[in-house]
Amino acid sequence: MTALVRMRLAGFLQTGRAAAPLLAALVVLSILYGGGQAQAGEAYGVSAAILFGVLAWQTKILLDVEPDVQRRLGRVAVGPAREATAGLVAALLAGLPVILVAMVLPWLVGGVTGPQKAGDPPLPEGIALGLWAHLLLLLPAVALGALASRAVSGQAARGLAILVGGVVMAIVLGLKSFPAPWLAPPLMTAARDTVGGTDLAHVLVTTAWGVLWAGAAVAGYAHLRRDRP
Amino acid sequence: MFGDVHLREVWFRYARKAAWTLHDVDLELGPGETAVVLGPNGSGKSTLLQLAVGVLRPGRGVVTGRPDVVGWVPERFPADQPFTARAYLTHMAAVRGADRDAIDEWADRLDFAGFLDVRLSRLSKGSAQKVGLVQALLSPPGLLVLDEPWEGLDAATRKQVPAIVADVVGRGGRVLISDHLGEVSRLPAARRWHVRDGRVTEGERPTVRRSIIELAVAAGHADRAVARLRADGFDVLGIREER
Repeated sequence: MTALVRMRLAGFLQTGRAAAPLLAALVVLSILYGGGQAQAGEAYGVSAAILFGVLAWQTKILLDVEPDVQRRLGRVAVGPAREATAGLVAALLAGLPVILVAMVLPWLVGGVTGPQKAGDPPLPEGIALGLWAHLLLLLPAVALGALASRAVSGQAARGLAILVGGVVMAIVLGLKSFPAPWLAPPLMTAARDTVGGTDLAHVLVTTAWGVLWAGAAVAGYAHLRRDRP
Repeated sequence: MFGDVHLREVWFRYARKAAWTLHDVDLELGPGETAVVLGPNGSGKSTLLQLAVGVLRPGRGVVTGRPDVVGWVPERFPADQPFTARAYLTHMAAVRGADRDAIDEWADRLDFAGFLDVRLSRLSKGSAQKVGLVQALLSPPGLLVLDEPWEGLDAATRKQVPAIVADVVGRGGRVLISDHLGEVSRLPAARRWHVRDGRVTEGERPTVRRSIIELAVAAGHADRAVARLRADGFDVLGIREER
């Protein structure tokens, strides 16, 4: 399966399709940090929420780069389960450089400050929460992108609708007033936790929520892929 | 390698409310056997082949006995990939856990070593089909499935297909081939499966009256002789040491 992951990442990079989501990430991060400085937690919380859609889109692109027949050749070579898993692992790995850019860029452009007054969260806490939020949201972003991929959606318009609809729902259902926010990935909750600071128990609950949501979405993806090679 | 690949009471359709593309299919292919799938365009030959290799999942029934290593040559090789032929085959060798030396061996045998460093998208259809053929053979397959292998190949490579089939069945593998070009005559000993109206029926076994000839070859040439005889469509019934 490792070899299939490598092959898919190589295809993603060599077609040049990796450039589009990376550029999109740079554009949104530039807009975010172009307005001025913010404390680490606040900056990274918003960044993680914004990049959720970019990472889901990147996953869809990565999975769609490979021709349908080649994907089926992979299925014959390693079996259906490992073929599907290889795509998800490749998408997770492809998301890491984007997160690295999101973590480093604000320091390069002077977009992050330390605590400004007494009671502000210390800088290391803000950075740690920011990294946590980005990594946590990568899981549901990959799951959403996989559900929007051509193998599952079949049609470009349907795939786009799943992708955009999923991101919009994650924002709308994550609003504080919504009674069942767990229907969506913890996009807004992770952002709020990172911006405002939180405690370990809340971090663990939100992590479990994100992992379970991603797990459910991946289970749906695996189920659909059984008949959509 | 041992055991039959068995499609047991297999039914298949492409959508939940669509008509069945194939129904009530019950077929077995044993070690050392070759079957040619015949039928008009759109009759379901490729569907049957994709069920056999495991790309498609039956709506009803089950496919059992599929060996660990399955080679599938699709009707059209997906050349829209950003790799050279060598890079692509290197990736596929790694995916299959095969020895990379097999790439050069097959490239020499199929006479396309000169194209190994050409990008897939720039290959002619025939050369791309050769890449498709090689990726299926990098690890010796227990089941080799060829979807219209004669389509797009040059005359020299077409002649090689029976020898490749003979290699696979000579090692105890099974081969399943679809054909609508009438090239089946190149494999006179193969079984015929006819696909029509969603059903698959077995044609008459190709040999009715046979003569048995005993041959003697140098022991070191036995494997090659068996492969060549099988490539020419003869059944090799047994091999023994001379007393």
